[in-house]
This record gives sequence, structure tokens and C-alpha cells, in this order.
Amino acid sequence: MKKLFRAAAVAAAAALALTACGGGGAATDPSNVSPTGEIKPREISWLLSRPADGAVINIMKKLADDYATDHPGFALNLITTPDRPSYIQKLETLAAANKLPELFDTDATPFAQELAKQGKMVEADKLLKSLDVYDDYRPGALDYQRFDDGSLYMIPFQFELEFIWYNKALFEKAGVSVPKSLDDIPAMCTALRNAGITPIAIDGQDQWPLERYVAYQPFREAGPDFVQKLKKGEASFTDDAGQKTVKWMADLGKAKCFQDGFSAQGYSDAQNQFTSGQAAMYNIGTWELPSLATDKLNSEVRNDTDFFTLPTTEGSVTSANEFVSPSGIGMAVNSKTYDPLVSDFLKFALNKYPAEYAATGALSPTTNVQTAIPGNATPLYKKALETANTLGDKQAMPWDTQLDPTTNGRLQQELVLLVQGNITPEQFTKTMDDAIKQNAPKFFK
Amino acid sequence: MLPNRSRTSVLVFLLPPLLLYCAAVLFPILQSLFLSFFSWNGISEMEFVGLANYVRMLTADDIFWRSFFNALLYLAICLVLQLGGALVVASLLTSLRRGRELIKTLYLLPAVISTVAIAFLFIRIYSIDPVGLLNQLLHWVGLGSLERAWLSDVNTVLAAVSAPEGWRFTGLYMLIIYAALIAVPKELEEAAVLDGASKWTLFTKIRFPYIRPVWITTTIMATTYGLRGFDIPYLMTNGGPGQSSELLTTYMYKTAFTSTDFGYASTISVFIVIECLVAVGLILFMLKRKADS
Repeated sequence: MKKLFRAAAVAAAAALALTACGGGGAATDPSNVSPTGEIKPREISWLLSRPADGAVINIMKKLADDYATDHPGFALNLITTPDRPSYIQKLETLAAANKLPELFDTDATPFAQELAKQGKMVEADKLLKSLDVYDDYRPGALDYQRFDDGSLYMIPFQFELEFIWYNKALFEKAGVSVPKSLDDIPAMCTALRNAGITPIAIDGQDQWPLERYVAYQPFREAGPDFVQKLKKGEASFTDDAGQKTVKWMADLGKAKCFQDGFSAQGYSDAQNQFTSGQAAMYNIGTWELPSLATDKLNSEVRNDTDFFTLPTTEGSVTSANEFVSPSGIGMAVNSKTYDPLVSDFLKFALNKYPAEYAATGALSPTTNVQTAIPGNATPLYKKALETANTLGDKQAMPWDTQLDPTTNGRLQQELVLLVQGNITPEQFTKTMDDAIKQNAPKFFK
Repeated sequence: MLPNRSRTSVLVFLLPPLLLYCAAVLFPILQSLFLSFFSWNGISEMEFVGLANYVRMLTADDIFWRSFFNALLYLAICLVLQLGGALVVASLLTSLRRGRELIKTLYLLPAVISTVAIAFLFIRIYSIDPVGLLNQLLHWVGLGSLERAWLSDVNTVLAAVSAPEGWRFTGLYMLIIYAALIAVPKELEEAAVLDGASKWTLFTKIRFPYIRPVWITTTIMATTYGLRGFDIPYLMTNGGPGQSSELLTTYMYKTAFTSTDFGYASTISVFIVIECLVAVGLILFMLKRKADS
């Protein structure tokens, strides 16, 4: 019996030792973007968070197949988790286990910056320059992926513009017009409500859509720097820009701008409210062009649909052509597994990708291709694409990619309470400033 | 005392499940306990912080206490629906002559539907815009003033996310209790009826004492399941609005996988383990005292 126990103890100790070994593994030099040696085809993986049948995945699959014909044995294994919170959990768990695949998606979050600091991601600006494609990219598309210090570790595959879509007929019915200033919106909501119309349809369940709104006033009042200072505790919600947005959000709530029970409604619920002509406004990006600016859109609202870009405010420091223009979640390259094969495949794929992507009717993150307008498009499609040509230099960053995750979670929760009128602007300000004070130092040392 | 050879064979047969239990249950708990003394975001160096996580949890974290009390209320609602509902339905079933099987199956049905489906079903039922089933029913019976967005109202959301969980397992506990009830010897009941016992006396003096062991087991099962409740609230509201439907489990999950604060999340999970043990201890203690008296 004793022997049995001793054997079990040894086995347990061995298992522990083995798992400890698995945690190690030194990272290679993240600035070495042109590894030398032979290209040995093998299967590589890309952990991504994009729609399973979306353009990015379809094109990359096709490009990987093309590449594999010349490099037998190569395969690109695409593992997608479109649901963002689940994806982030997966990514963080794999990062903790040091088991990240060759390619993986991430926003420019504090967590990603930590990975970059540890040398786990290849420097993307050097990589793109070495592949001679860096200058093709829209500066805005790359800036969206950059960390605060300007360093670039993620490669964009999309370029989107966010507009406020509206229903002209409903505006007319309520006697309101396109707002000249953000500050006009609460009064517009009241007028729309009085006419029995839901002013704004919003996907409350996913939380980021409401978080967009809190970013608007500070972007106009204090520019893109505000959130960068706020997240580190160098600015606060008690500042003018902070107070302005807190008060504005509370006003939006008081004017009942969002549909009743919005916090439990999902993405498609919100979109249906707009496309069925129940809601007057809907804030969404160009990724929805296929459903909002083609004949797929409900014919009853098709001719009444239009969009406007983020309104400015009096004394706004950013201009009307500067708003939210994200280049989507970016792709990072794992420095540990970066070898001649990965480098060669990226060179092949990144050179061919823009033309393929633009052919699907989407805006490429590069400027060297022309987006094809689909045959069933309404005139709005062209108008939306052309807006990309007149963009300003500054862009409003979504706050969910900026704040540390704990503060971000708290902000998303408190915003709902603020808009529903469950807490006062003062309570909101205090809770959020305390949350930043407590959580920011851990992430922004 | 078993002879030597049979003792070895007992050990040989017991050891594999015991080892499996250690690897699958005890090891993670011990690892959580270990991690709870560290500050660790998953990718940086682990930093030993002693009891700091516990101090923060118990003294400085308003969301923790909020979710703790939410979890207790959630548990209470689940227990009333599951055990109370199960007992009532099972008792009624025993007096039913026909259609027992059909009713049993119907009640058990929710337990086999996937959680995600249940969550989406109830999101629709509670919806106000478009009007869901619940608000429609209230409107029809003339209680239109009660219509509301059940999942967005901070006063109703906790009850609204507890009800589906309670509803879901009522059938399962009903089956267990029903099996116990039909095992009550008929002659005991008949003797009591001959002595003039009312239905209520029959239930409290004969039936319930007889099924007490089963009742204890189901209570413990329902309590531990209730304390671990996670999926339905997470899917329906993600803890919101604000922290109105945040449970300890959803809070722990977010702390670990959103905030990447694995050390602190482990601290919360240790608390959940202790909480479950205390709850089971309390139930055993109370029911034993009652049985003794």
C-alpha cells in the first residue's frame, strides 16, 4: 500500500513539474521582421473574432488555398469566435497559458499592450514596411490600431465609418431636422417621442453601442486626447468635458431617446426597429451598408433612409469630418512562432487582400484600390463610401478599446443606470472617477 | 473488519474514482486557494500579496457585497420555485388518477431544453418593445399598469432572471419528490385516515416525515445549484442594468476573464466554495435538529 502511495506522489510531482515547464518558452526578437532560412510549409492558425461567413474570412481562406497550391503542406486554420466577450476570454486564457497561435486578433487594449511589452507580438509597422505595403494603408486605419505611444502591433483588415442613420419621413412627421449640434439631440428626442416615434434604436445588450455616445461630447469638446488622459487618471469626469458628457447622457435618458427596455435588446432587435420604420435614428457603421444601402432594406423605408455624420458642438475642437472611423479588430503576429513561412504567407496575402476585399463592396484599409459598388446598391452606398475621402486627421476612439477592462465594465454598467435615471449625474461622476483611480494604475504603469 | 485481500480490492476499486475526484474537484479548489494570495493578470509575473485580496473583497468592494446579497435573493427565489413548486406538484400528482405520465413529462421538459434557448425564450417573454408574452397577459387581464421592461427595471430584473432558473428545474425535483411520496407505505396512510386524520395532518405527520431524507438531499442539491447559478443571468442581462442582477458567479467570471484579475477572481471563488459548504452545513444542522425534536 505504501508503495502505491509513493508511486502516486511521484506521479503527481512529475505532473506538476511538467505543467510548470509548459509555461516557459522564450519569445524571439519582435523587431526581427525578416527571418532568414528555408520556407517550410505547415499548418498555421489564426484565432480571430470576425463573422464566420464575412468577407475577411472568405478572402483569407481563398488566399490561403492559392498559397497552398504553390506550397504543398501549407494550411491556414481559421478559428473564429465572433462573440467578442467570449473571444477575449479565449485569447486571454491562451495568452496566460503561453499558447497563442501564429496569428491572433486583438484591439489596441491595455492587455494587448502588455503582450507587446513582453515581446510577444511582432512590430507591425516594421513588418508592413518590410513587405513594402506600409504606405498603401490609410493613416487613419493604422492610427486606430496604435497604442498611445504610437507603436503599432496590429494589422487592420477593414476600414469603417460610423454614421447616424435616420428616417426622413419620421423626422418630418415630428417636425425635426438633422441636428446641427450634439446638444440639439435631447430636444429632438422629446419632439419625436411626442409624435409617438422611438427616437433612437440601440443595441443595449452588447453595451458598446451606448458607450459610443459617452465618447462624443468629449471628442468635440476636448479632442481625442481626453480619453487617453481620462483612462490614466490624468483627466476626470469632473472636468468640463467629462461633466458635459455626463449631463448630456442624463439628458438623453430624460428625453427618452432610446427605445423602452433598450438594455435587454440585442443587435438585430435594434436594427429591426430602424429598418421597420419604428425608430427614427440608428447609429451604426459602414459594415451594415449591405443591409442599409441596398435593395435588401425594407422597401417601405428605403427611400426615406439617409445618414448624417457625428454633429459638432459650439466651440468644438474637432471638425465635422472627424468622427468614429475604426479599422476593426486588428491582427497581431505572434513573435514566438514567426518564421520564414509566416512571413512569406503574410507577404503573399497582404499584397492580394485589398483588391479582393474592395471587390466585395467594402472599404479597404488601404488606398490603392477602388471599392466596387454592388449592383443592388441605393445611392446612399456611394455617398457613404465617398465620405471616406474627405475624412479629417483626428478620429474618435471607441472608449471600450481605451479604458482598462475593469473600469470599462463599470462604465458600461453605470451608463445604463445613468440613462435610465436610476442614478444621478453626481453619483455617476463619483463612481467612475473612483473606479479609474482604483483600476488604472495597474494597467498604465 | 474486512479480510486483508478484500481490503486491497476495495482500495483498488476506490482509488481511480478518488484520484479522478482529486484531480477534477480538489485540485482546482486548492489551486484557487493558492492563486487567491497573488495578484496576477495571466501574462505578467505573479506577485504575492498575502491577504490583500481578501481584505479588498470584504471591506472595499461594493460590487462584491451587492452581488452577494443578489445571489442570496436569487437562491431564495429559486428554492421557493423549485422545492415549493416541486412539492405542490408532486403531492397533487399522487392524487391524480390519469395523465400522470403526461404531466410528469411536461414538467420535466424545461430541464432538457438548453440554457441558451431558455434565456432567449425568456428575453422575449419579458420584452416590452415589441410586447412580450408577460406584458401582453398583464394587459389582457387588465393589469396594464404593471407592464414594464422587466429586464431593464432595476427593481424587477433580479426576480426576472431567477424565475427561469427556478421554473427550469421544478420538474426535476418534482420527479424526485414524487418518487419518494409514492414510496410512503399505503397502510400507514390508511391507518391515519381511519383514525380521522385530515389531509393536512396526513401530509405533515406521515408523508413529510417519511420523505425527509429525500427532502434533505433535494434541498442540498437545489441550494448548491442555486449558489452556483450563472448561465441564465449571464445570458439574459450580463448582470445589468448596473449591478442589479450581478451574482457572485457572474462577478467572479468578469473579474477573471474581463478584468484579467485572476488572483482576485480566485479569492471570490474561494468565498463561493466556503459559502456552499456553510449553506450545506446549515441545512443539515437545521433539518437534523428538527428531526431530533
